[in-house]
Amino acid sequence: MPLLEVDNLQVFYGDFQALFGVSVKVDKGETVSIIGANGAGKSTLLRAITGINREKTGRIQFDSADITAMRAHLIARCGISIVPEGRRLFPSLSVEDNLLTGTATARAGEWTLDKVYDLFPMLRAIRAHPSARISGGQQQMVAIGRALLANPLLLLCDELSLGLAPKVINDIYAQFDHIRERGVSILLVEQDVMRAIAASDRIYCFLEGRVSLQGIAKNFGVDEISRAYFGT
Amino acid sequence: MAAEMMSSRRFFYVKPRSMLIVLLLLTAILAAAPSWLSAGTLRQISEFLFVFAMAESWNLLAGFVGLISLGHQGFVGIGAYSLFMIANASGISPHFAMLFALVISALAAAAIAPFLFRLRDAYFSIAIWVVAEIARTATAKSHWLGSSIGVVLEATRHMDRTWLAIGIYWWAVGIGIGSIALLFLLVRSRLGLALMAVRDNDLTAASVGIDVGRARFIAFVLSGALCGIAGAGYSMLSYHIDPNGAYDGNWVVVMLFITIIGGIGTIEGPIIGTAIYFGLREEMGDIGNWYLILMGSVAVIAMIAMRRGIWGTLTRKFAFELFSVRRLPPL
Amino acid sequence: MTVLQTIINGLFLGALYGLFGLGLAFAFGIMRIVNVAQGEFMVLATYIGLMLMPWLPVHPLVLIIPVALIAFGFGYAVQGSILNRVLDKDPMPSLLITFGISIVLRNLMVQVWSADFRSINIGKLKFMGFDVLGLRIGLLPLVIFGTVILLFVALYLLMTQTRFGRLIRATADDYETIQFFGVDYRRVYCVAMGISAALSAAAGMLIAMRSAFNPFSGVDRLLISFEVVIIGGLGSLWGMIVGGMVLGVAQLVSLQYDPNAGLMYAHIVFFLILMVMPSGISAWRRR
Repeated sequence: MPLLEVDNLQVFYGDFQALFGVSVKVDKGETVSIIGANGAGKSTLLRAITGINREKTGRIQFDSADITAMRAHLIARCGISIVPEGRRLFPSLSVEDNLLTGTATARAGEWTLDKVYDLFPMLRAIRAHPSARISGGQQQMVAIGRALLANPLLLLCDELSLGLAPKVINDIYAQFDHIRERGVSILLVEQDVMRAIAASDRIYCFLEGRVSLQGIAKNFGVDEISRAYFGT
Repeated sequence: MAAEMMSSRRFFYVKPRSMLIVLLLLTAILAAAPSWLSAGTLRQISEFLFVFAMAESWNLLAGFVGLISLGHQGFVGIGAYSLFMIANASGISPHFAMLFALVISALAAAAIAPFLFRLRDAYFSIAIWVVAEIARTATAKSHWLGSSIGVVLEATRHMDRTWLAIGIYWWAVGIGIGSIALLFLLVRSRLGLALMAVRDNDLTAASVGIDVGRARFIAFVLSGALCGIAGAGYSMLSYHIDPNGAYDGNWVVVMLFITIIGGIGTIEGPIIGTAIYFGLREEMGDIGNWYLILMGSVAVIAMIAMRRGIWGTLTRKFAFELFSVRRLPPL
Repeated sequence: MTVLQTIINGLFLGALYGLFGLGLAFAFGIMRIVNVAQGEFMVLATYIGLMLMPWLPVHPLVLIIPVALIAFGFGYAVQGSILNRVLDKDPMPSLLITFGISIVLRNLMVQVWSADFRSINIGKLKFMGFDVLGLRIGLLPLVIFGTVILLFVALYLLMTQTRFGRLIRATADDYETIQFFGVDYRRVYCVAMGISAALSAAAGMLIAMRSAFNPFSGVDRLLISFEVVIIGGLGSLWGMIVGGMVLGVAQLVSLQYDPNAGLMYAHIVFFLILMVMPSGISAWRRR
């Protein structure tokens, strides 16, 4: 039984259709990546899963429950948490307060503030800083820490590397093993194809709202991925 | 909207020129009405048309500019007091003095606009209410303006009652039909297009070169002037005004109710709205406040359930428009 | 000496005006809703206080607590049943709705309690006072001032030191993202409106201890609230108090010279400030 199963999902923004019957699954303990060009529908998939976008048909099943029509805050309480595109920290709050908002899901689990500081030691030093005044890489760590403090079963990551220096991205991805060890499954949306393949068990490639390629990450060569990515 | 336009149903649309001809005919018929209608009926129609025009002035600002004025009673008061004071002081006929009411209301609007426009949305709405309150309290304190007792339209003392009533009626017809024509022409003008662009998204409008400030200013002055002259006309019906009556906050409730129930941003919606307002007043008679409570409730319910008002919902459902505010060629 | 005394009274009154503004600003800051019915909330709370008086034989200042709790419930209910339905980007519907609610409340209050003026009997406190440096300081204004400061501090602590305050601030920042962490932003809005109503209730009770009121007093209260917010600037607690004080002093000083003016000079001062400093006092300070 997969942890997350998306079946024949169509998603709309008003009159505009963004996804045309995509099916994706994530098994427990897996790390799955979604790659694809801008506008292919990757972030839309995450918005649909988290319940922010409610204009959809098809089925989304999570941890044996049908969450297709559920409201966003309830889906979060089921155990899905997200590191949103652009981080979206709360500007009025300090770093620590931002992290603590994650605990609002009130889910039992092993993630605590201390464990998050162990994962990203740099944050301890800046815990009282206003979150708007820290660097992009630090913000990304806070966003991840916040999502972890929700004690999710499934962590969604939307474009982690956007706007960050390569070294910073490396540091962040380096922590993924630790996260995985704790039993969190991960669904990753990533522009950087090589990084996505290196970090995941399986990948899906999206092209114009449809799945153009799927399977075990290491199995695909550059040419094949290129074709699926650009549609040539 | 898009789906309806593409549907196979024929979209019924009245050409502007035809509409103006209809309006002219209507004006002619109404103007001739005194020969067969009683004074009492003329008075009722006058009241209807003045209130209708006031509502259209509010509608102009709310529906086409996107500004809600919670202080439009200020223009009613300024119009009324201008008329009375000038007619009394100069001895000219109140019918001519009406033009002064128009001009002074326009000037008042022009004077306060620059400051009010510094505020957005709800803050604009309440700020104009503050201005109306200043006007009210200042008037009530002014001995020259009659203080709380108010002013009587002395100038009419020696005028023939029948012709006076007919004159007021003709003003009502002119202002009432004129308000429809004004909105109609405005909407179809370049200014109107600019206004609707500004209403929908002022930043984008500015970026395509529309002078947002100028467009809003002109619309605001037109709205104030129309409301002022309509208020002046209305006040002539009772020959007496006082600060609490002329600057009564409940004027806005009436204008708002009529516009909302008819349909904000439609030209013909307030016709239905005014009819319903007067109908309710007849039915509810003198049960004091209940009609106000009803109007307030309607505002709440309309915003939740029926934002386009009665007319707006009907035109959408049956795909027709009388005074089209769309700039489409006929299908 | 009289002028100085009037100014001091104006400062005390002004702090209370600051509390008026706080109720309005809180709702706007969290939910972008301008509650035009704010004044009517204040007046209604005061009538409820009057109704409770025979049943709760406590000092009116203590009565503020149950009244504020009832007001909280009322604000929560209004947000939940009506205002949460119009949470779109367009500010027009919520403005018209709260205006409609103000009309309904005002006229219902006239039906129930008539248009007669009432006030809260504060007993001996109204006449007590003491002398400091030749100035007469009334005890009632001082107590009201103290209560206002207490409420400001309490709200500040709630917002900055508590878990729930953190959630409210986060929701105000980004109501979409907060859902990702299990929070129903609509419920947060209900609580925020409840808090706004409770603050307004306290303000309404306090002002009724100083002067008489009737169902139509809501208009004046709303306009003051609004002017305080504009003068003081939206995000600043200090700004509210300073803005309120400017209006309080303007009103009381002008009353010395023109006893029938009511709030006219306060309104005029507001308009002058609007002409000169459109962003309010706190924005001016930041420069």
